[in-house]
Amino acid sequence: MGIRNKTFNELNSINTVVKRKKALDMMNSLLKIFTALLVIVFVLYPFLSVFGKALYSDGRINFSEFLFLKGEFYLVKNSILSATITALLSTIFALALGLMTFFVSERQKKAIMFILLLTMVSPPFIGSLTYIELFGRNGFITRDILKLSINPYGLWGIVSVQTLGFTSLNAVLLIGYLDSFDKTMIEAAKSLKASTTSILLDVVIPLMKPAIAVCFLLSFIRSMADFSSPMIIGGAFNTLATEAYLSIIAKGNSPRASAISVILFIPSIIVFIIYGHYLKEQQSASKNLRQTQAKMKKSGLYHLVKILALFFILWLIIQYLAIFTSAFTDKYKGEVYFTLDNIRDSLPHIRDSFVRSIIYSIIAGVFSSLIGLVLSYYSYIMKGKYMKFIDFISNMPYIVPGTFFGLGYIFAFNKSPLKLTGTALIVILNLIFRQLPMSIRTIQSSMTQIERATLNSAKDLGAHNLYILKDMVFPMTYSGLFLSFTNAFISSMTTIGSIIFLVYPSRKLATFVLFDLVSSGKYKIASVLSCIIIIVCLSVSLLSYRIFNRSSKNVSQY
Amino acid sequence: MFLNIKNLTKKYNNIEAVNKVSFSAQEKEIICILGPSGCGKTTILQSIGGFIKIDGGEIILDGKNIENLEPEDREIATVFQSYGLFPHKTVIENIIYGLKFRRYKKKDAIEEGKRMLEVLNLKGYENKRVTQLSGGEQQRVALGRALIVKPKLLLLDEPFSNLDTKLRVSMRGELLRIREVFNITMLFVTHDQEDAFSIADRIIVMNKGQIEQIDTARNIYLNPKTEFVLNFIGSANVDNGYFVRPEAIKISEDGEEARVVGKTFKGSFIEYIIEYKNNRYKMIRLNNEEEYEINDKIYIEMEMREI
Repeated sequence: MGIRNKTFNELNSINTVVKRKKALDMMNSLLKIFTALLVIVFVLYPFLSVFGKALYSDGRINFSEFLFLKGEFYLVKNSILSATITALLSTIFALALGLMTFFVSERQKKAIMFILLLTMVSPPFIGSLTYIELFGRNGFITRDILKLSINPYGLWGIVSVQTLGFTSLNAVLLIGYLDSFDKTMIEAAKSLKASTTSILLDVVIPLMKPAIAVCFLLSFIRSMADFSSPMIIGGAFNTLATEAYLSIIAKGNSPRASAISVILFIPSIIVFIIYGHYLKEQQSASKNLRQTQAKMKKSGLYHLVKILALFFILWLIIQYLAIFTSAFTDKYKGEVYFTLDNIRDSLPHIRDSFVRSIIYSIIAGVFSSLIGLVLSYYSYIMKGKYMKFIDFISNMPYIVPGTFFGLGYIFAFNKSPLKLTGTALIVILNLIFRQLPMSIRTIQSSMTQIERATLNSAKDLGAHNLYILKDMVFPMTYSGLFLSFTNAFISSMTTIGSIIFLVYPSRKLATFVLFDLVSSGKYKIASVLSCIIIIVCLSVSLLSYRIFNRSSKNVSQY
Repeated sequence: MFLNIKNLTKKYNNIEAVNKVSFSAQEKEIICILGPSGCGKTTILQSIGGFIKIDGGEIILDGKNIENLEPEDREIATVFQSYGLFPHKTVIENIIYGLKFRRYKKKDAIEEGKRMLEVLNLKGYENKRVTQLSGGEQQRVALGRALIVKPKLLLLDEPFSNLDTKLRVSMRGELLRIREVFNITMLFVTHDQEDAFSIADRIIVMNKGQIEQIDTARNIYLNPKTEFVLNFIGSANVDNGYFVRPEAIKISEDGEEARVVGKTFKGSFIEYIIEYKNNRYKMIRLNNEEEYEINDKIYIEMEMREI
């Protein structure tokens, strides 16, 4: 009897172990399928919907929507022209800023980085706002100082505003690249008696080529896709992006908007492929762990670099000074005086929209990071075949212009069973999946720090895949998750393109209110709103930078 | 046999990394797989641990076929070359992690963990972060974490490669002591023959995915079965399928004449290059024996043995 009892107990315990394992397996599969479905429904489906709308009508495939290209080819020309000039200028300025880091002290470099960060947390059309205030018909510089009355609108307005906006990201990319640059090469060149000019032209810049190409291409597609700057200061200068926007907002012609968006998508996908190619090269270029400061003589080409960099920094400083002063001053009979009236006037505009923006952005930050974590776990760590495909699809929102992604949501979710148009949910979902590619990148780069042996050890000790996700991968990617949350939060706070068609008029977000204010000429109130958005985003990113630094110290030491 | 490996095969891109490898181990035995990098030794370890899928063969542990089980379902624990400690957990949390899946109450697990730390001479380290430990301490945590789940077989991948020479020697002793305490069978992989000779009961010499010889250290050194084994283990003078180890060349008044052409002081011994019948041989002598200079005539005796 005793023996029988024991066997029974043993059987029983084996049974519960097997049951437990089955339950975990089930949960594991469900989680995987759920994540994959999310990406298919909220990324792939809207993406295909735009193509459907553009190419499919009257029950067959036709290209009639693309016929506008014949009559309105100037749109394509304008887009390419402004994008090329913008990309060129913003790459040149970024290069100057990047090279400048060789010549400045650590403290000056930090100051430069802070100013660049400032522009990266600003709403996108803030440049347009200050441009009008400084160079417009009633502009402070053009009228009050130079006594000119020129028309600031058009190509050069767009180019200067976009250059100011895009240079910062480029510069941050290039500075990051130069940080990992093997400085001993410079020392070697110096010891061979090379001048500063030759070191820069023969060694540094040739090695930076892939990074420079990435900057140029990124700026090019960002410029192509940007509709807000041309809308505000383009005047009669129309581009594909503005035309797509107007087709929906003014004409309600969604097939036309889709066709234009598809055209805008073509350069993006080409650039993305080249970008991927260059990025690989860039990563394998040179990795130097030894941090040395290589100082070069301040001569020759240095002077040109310095002039360009200083010019740009000065321009940025003026821009932010202009916004802050315009938020706190007013003019009466030509006299400028300090006032808080603008802030008071802005309150009704801020109240709801601002809180809503922050809540939406927090939700977007949290969920894009969590989905990014689970997706990366299955595709990057577990190397699931199907999940690799899902991972690829989830990158699409990064490639397509914002308006494209927004249009996709309208077409995909305007009928049951997934009728979401007009709800807050569609906006939040759009924000989440728009940020997902960046989140995945950030999280996967922190996953590279996790050793395979660590995960194998956990598995070896009996941990089920779900436990490995919960006990190992999740805590070890904290720093990546923080960074991903911050990036997604800031992008969501400052974005407009992808959600402009989705937001219900009574439920506006802060950037929309700002866009309306700028468009309708209420520059003072717009300045106040810009300041608040900048302050919120800046605080969040500085706060997370501190936490990130602390948590990454704990993990990467090992 | 306690562990039985039969015709284990693993291919990468159709190239056999491990080709029909068979061997076995008794309970409590320490087996070492020795070979140059790329010979497939780590692949064998990973196959037994379950981290890679094998393309053929059987793995039988304690009478049960386990080749199709997931790593978490095999009664095997592994100590990885880089230890694979959990950097975000403390020493005790690392040690008891495996008990979480063996229905231990947290309190009992901590008790068990503390006992393990005592056995490993890590008492008082409970709440340290593993990142604060030295290499040898990290290694012991990795061992403790693997042993606490009472595996039937312990796998060690290059266990001493991250330790300096002194620590290496003491960890070898530690491993032998652990075998006595836990009565555990061990299979470890190394490219260092001193590791293998110091602790293994039997050594498997591998080359290009195949086993060259399985035997005790003594037999492998004295009776190498292939030229690869001969050259990989120690050094040897080889001539037409015959060999003689450098220390087997004896000085003898009745010997034949040879001439010293090279001499290097190596610490406890001196290595000579001698010329004998137009061939050059390596010969070693302890440093307290009679010393010779270059161009000295000496008389030697040696027996060339067939490989």
